[in-house]
Amino acid sequence: MDFFTQILIAAVGMGTPLLFATIGGVISERAGVINLGMEGLMLVGALVAFVVMLKTGSYFYAVSAAAISSGVVSMIHGVVCLMLRASQIASGLALTFFGTGLSGLFGDKLMGETVEPLNRIPVPGLSSIPILGPALFNQDVLVYFSFLCVGLSWWMLFKTRLGLNIRSIGEAPEVCDSLGISVLSYRFFAVVGGGMLVGIGGAYFPLALTPFWVDGITAGRGWIAVALVIFAFWDPLKALGGAYLFGLALALELRLQILGIDMSPYFLKMLPYVLTILVLTLVTIRNNRLGIQVMPAALGNVFFRGEKH
Amino acid sequence: MAVGIKPLTAYQIIGEEIFLTKYGWQDLLVKMTPLMFTGLAVAFAAQMRLWNIGAEGQFHMGTFAMTWFVLHFDEKLPGGMLIVLMLIMAILGGGLWGSIPGFLKARFGVNEIITSLLLNYVAAAWVDHMLFGAWRDPGSNNFPITREFSEAGQLPTFGNTSIHAGLIIAFIFVAIFAWILWKTRLGFQIRLTGDNPDAARYSGVNIRTLTLLVFAVSGAIAGLAGFSEVSGIHYRLQQNISIGYGYTGIIVAWLARNHPLGVVLSAFFMSIVFVSAEVLQIEYGLPISMVYLYQGIILFTVLGSEIFTEYRLRVRSLFIFPRKNKTRAVSR
Repeated sequence: MDFFTQILIAAVGMGTPLLFATIGGVISERAGVINLGMEGLMLVGALVAFVVMLKTGSYFYAVSAAAISSGVVSMIHGVVCLMLRASQIASGLALTFFGTGLSGLFGDKLMGETVEPLNRIPVPGLSSIPILGPALFNQDVLVYFSFLCVGLSWWMLFKTRLGLNIRSIGEAPEVCDSLGISVLSYRFFAVVGGGMLVGIGGAYFPLALTPFWVDGITAGRGWIAVALVIFAFWDPLKALGGAYLFGLALALELRLQILGIDMSPYFLKMLPYVLTILVLTLVTIRNNRLGIQVMPAALGNVFFRGEKH
Repeated sequence: MAVGIKPLTAYQIIGEEIFLTKYGWQDLLVKMTPLMFTGLAVAFAAQMRLWNIGAEGQFHMGTFAMTWFVLHFDEKLPGGMLIVLMLIMAILGGGLWGSIPGFLKARFGVNEIITSLLLNYVAAAWVDHMLFGAWRDPGSNNFPITREFSEAGQLPTFGNTSIHAGLIIAFIFVAIFAWILWKTRLGFQIRLTGDNPDAARYSGVNIRTLTLLVFAVSGAIAGLAGFSEVSGIHYRLQQNISIGYGYTGIIVAWLARNHPLGVVLSAFFMSIVFVSAEVLQIEYGLPISMVYLYQGIILFTVLGSEIFTEYRLRVRSLFIFPRKNKTRAVSR
């Protein structure tokens, strides 16, 4: 296997947790709720997946438990910023603190434990396509599941009544309210559903990328995902490209040294973060210039029933 | 509880260690110092409704700039001048780092929350790069630490305690910023822009310049936190100097409702949380990162309870759920 293919395989692997988290963020933000707690949710998902994997040895249980637990934790976010009407930004930050602390506290005793990483299962036929074949179709189950999630969430958001309602609530909650669509329930379920996907993204770290526990295992990827939601124009299909682009940057970080490029490892470490800032700036400039307004209009607004804005 | 510790015993130990020992009180004031700076930094930006989540990175860049200065000019300058110039370097380092998200926000409207946060990771990697490379002290047995600063580069401490002059500087800055915000034209413009950007623009406030300025100043204050920690306690740059002081600044500011004077109180409160976590670490071997868990819970609780203080008249409509929709439709 040549170097280039290896990089692509690694890029998809590194991009997968970003992809899950970005789709989760897209769903939540389409309904008008910012989730800045993605870093925390990913850490909760990673911790729970690792623990359940250690105890049961079942990937299915590990991923399900990660999804459920991060769903439960994002309920706190839902209750605080939807029912108790607090600032979504502050509540999201609290979620990040909460998840960081939780994973730090309970992960402390897990240092040194290891789990078996997920096996690659090549898809017959597809995996022999040159270049892209091995990268996309010689991967583990969770990667395939992420493809499914991209498709399903796109279909859900843009082709079903449920998705139409979610998007409308993100644009004009007052109108939806007057049409008898419950803004708070939809938002709540979007937050929890999105949160579950973010948790699965977190679970990918211990189950596939680093099969042992390190403190702060997600290393800020949750925040990169927050930026990717904007980069993907709140569209799950475009999230695919964004996530793999950043996956590529992360994969390069690990592999440039093997190529013998003499660069401080700390500069390589900065690369994904600097790239995120650059891309975010370019996207913002482009949107300003073209006058595009893709952001859900009511994003971040607190919804007061029966009150005009 | 969840980690197999009797909570009451733990509280008792925490209480005794912190409030009944001289060391406990000292530690409270020492930990409070950087929190006052970072809290003030976040609060100052928040007065203009700007979120500076990057105090952690600005802290690091402040320590970077001053350490660079010390390593080059130590023992070449008269004592008093060295420490003052170190302070200015920390202000510059933090300020320049803080003005990056400020510039991107002011010029292009880039979301400052994401950029300021991501820069934290960049700053931490940058300091690591220096510590593991050019700045590593040859006599440190390969630990990633710089050499110790000479006495001229150290802040004086009070008597035999570890409380250092950084605390005084922090109080001075709190006073200065309370004055700026409420007694000067600049402060008025900042608060006006925070409350109503349209009105501010109409009245001739240059919001772009102000955004850049506020972010730079905010970063500068966070850089000072780095100065006070390095110069007041460690006397050298080493890894993990900030145990999350920058992030905690967000909570400090929020609890203080972004008021500089409130920052003093909430910094003291968060300092208790930090020292308690240290006690728990020593007594029970719990990781220090549980501070974040505490902070998350505190912030959630405060946020959740705000509805009862801010919207008292609305309590009736608090728990209106979809079901009410139907009754209303019927009654019409």
